[in-house]
Amino acid sequence: MKILVAEDDITSRAILQAILQKWGYEVIITCDGNEAWKALQENDAPQIALIDWEMPEIDGTALCRKLRVQERKYPLYLILLTSKDEREDIVQGLEAGADDYITKPYDNQELRARVNVGQRMIKLRNELRERDVLKGVLEMAGAVCHELNQPLQSVSGFSELLLLDMDNGDPNYETLKKIKAGVERIGKLTHKIMGISKYRAKEYMNGKRTIVDIDKSAESDQ
Amino acid sequence: MEEKNILIVDDEQFIRDLYSQAFSRAGYKVKTAGSAEEALDILRKDKYLVMFLDLNLPGMNGIDLCRQIRKNYPMAITYAVTGNASLFELSDCRDAGFEDYFIKPVKLSVLFEAADSAFKKLERWKNNNSSSKLHSK
Repeated sequence: MKILVAEDDITSRAILQAILQKWGYEVIITCDGNEAWKALQENDAPQIALIDWEMPEIDGTALCRKLRVQERKYPLYLILLTSKDEREDIVQGLEAGADDYITKPYDNQELRARVNVGQRMIKLRNELRERDVLKGVLEMAGAVCHELNQPLQSVSGFSELLLLDMDNGDPNYETLKKIKAGVERIGKLTHKIMGISKYRAKEYMNGKRTIVDIDKSAESDQ
Repeated sequence: MEEKNILIVDDEQFIRDLYSQAFSRAGYKVKTAGSAEEALDILRKDKYLVMFLDLNLPGMNGIDLCRQIRKNYPMAITYAVTGNASLFELSDCRDAGFEDYFIKPVKLSVLFEAADSAFKKLERWKNNNSSSKLHSK
């Protein structure tokens, strides 16, 4: 899992990077608020960020505020690193949009536990998001398929009727068979779409966008 | 041999036309209805023991229609034909008394088989127990 560190102090930064990497995280290092903001705009940006309160350019709370007004594709868990431990400071940090904070000098085990909480929260939020997306997909899919299945029935049924009355030496016989086969293929597709039980996406146009992966989404979990 | 009557209930005209043409061609006598209410009206006047019902109907839906039919005419054999499988589950259909369940687009040959098996079943019931009240309400 990726984690972003925004810390202007070179020593703190190096220590954070070392321990997070030791715990198995892929660490994205940034040296100020601006850099952190930019890194968090990337497509595959980390979903957990450790943000120092006092930084040049944009400070930690300002960065939190800026990120919270942004409409983001994936949830983001923000932990403020601070040497401020007055109650007003903590309130200010949380009100700015931080999910948690940790006071410097921090204990490594506490840091690890708080990062783990973040990971659990992200997992939960990702699942909720997936459920929302799935609900939308299912409603849309059901409605579209229903609308499609009616005319499909008409085309496939009437072509079947025509074939029953047509001599197979008729020049149109093979053509009609192809029309019927094509429609039946669309019918199989609508049945598959109606069987969608979960949301799975796949990359489309060289990763420029993602689309619903109908085969994977309709696969049974068993 | 009795006349093989089939009742089709679907709110879309072109689907009614299709099934009507198809079953007529297969030798059945077909009547169609565009709603559950119309279907119940027809059943009050004439006898139909084999029916294909669309589930998503305006007014009373196909599930409730099937329950009503099975209550009034216990020997009726009803098939569900639906365009939206996610709206009605197979278990709901079985519970309502449907014999089987088809998702549109369905091959006519499949519907022919269903109709054929229904009439064979009715015939067998009739022969098994000639005193059974097949025709009573």
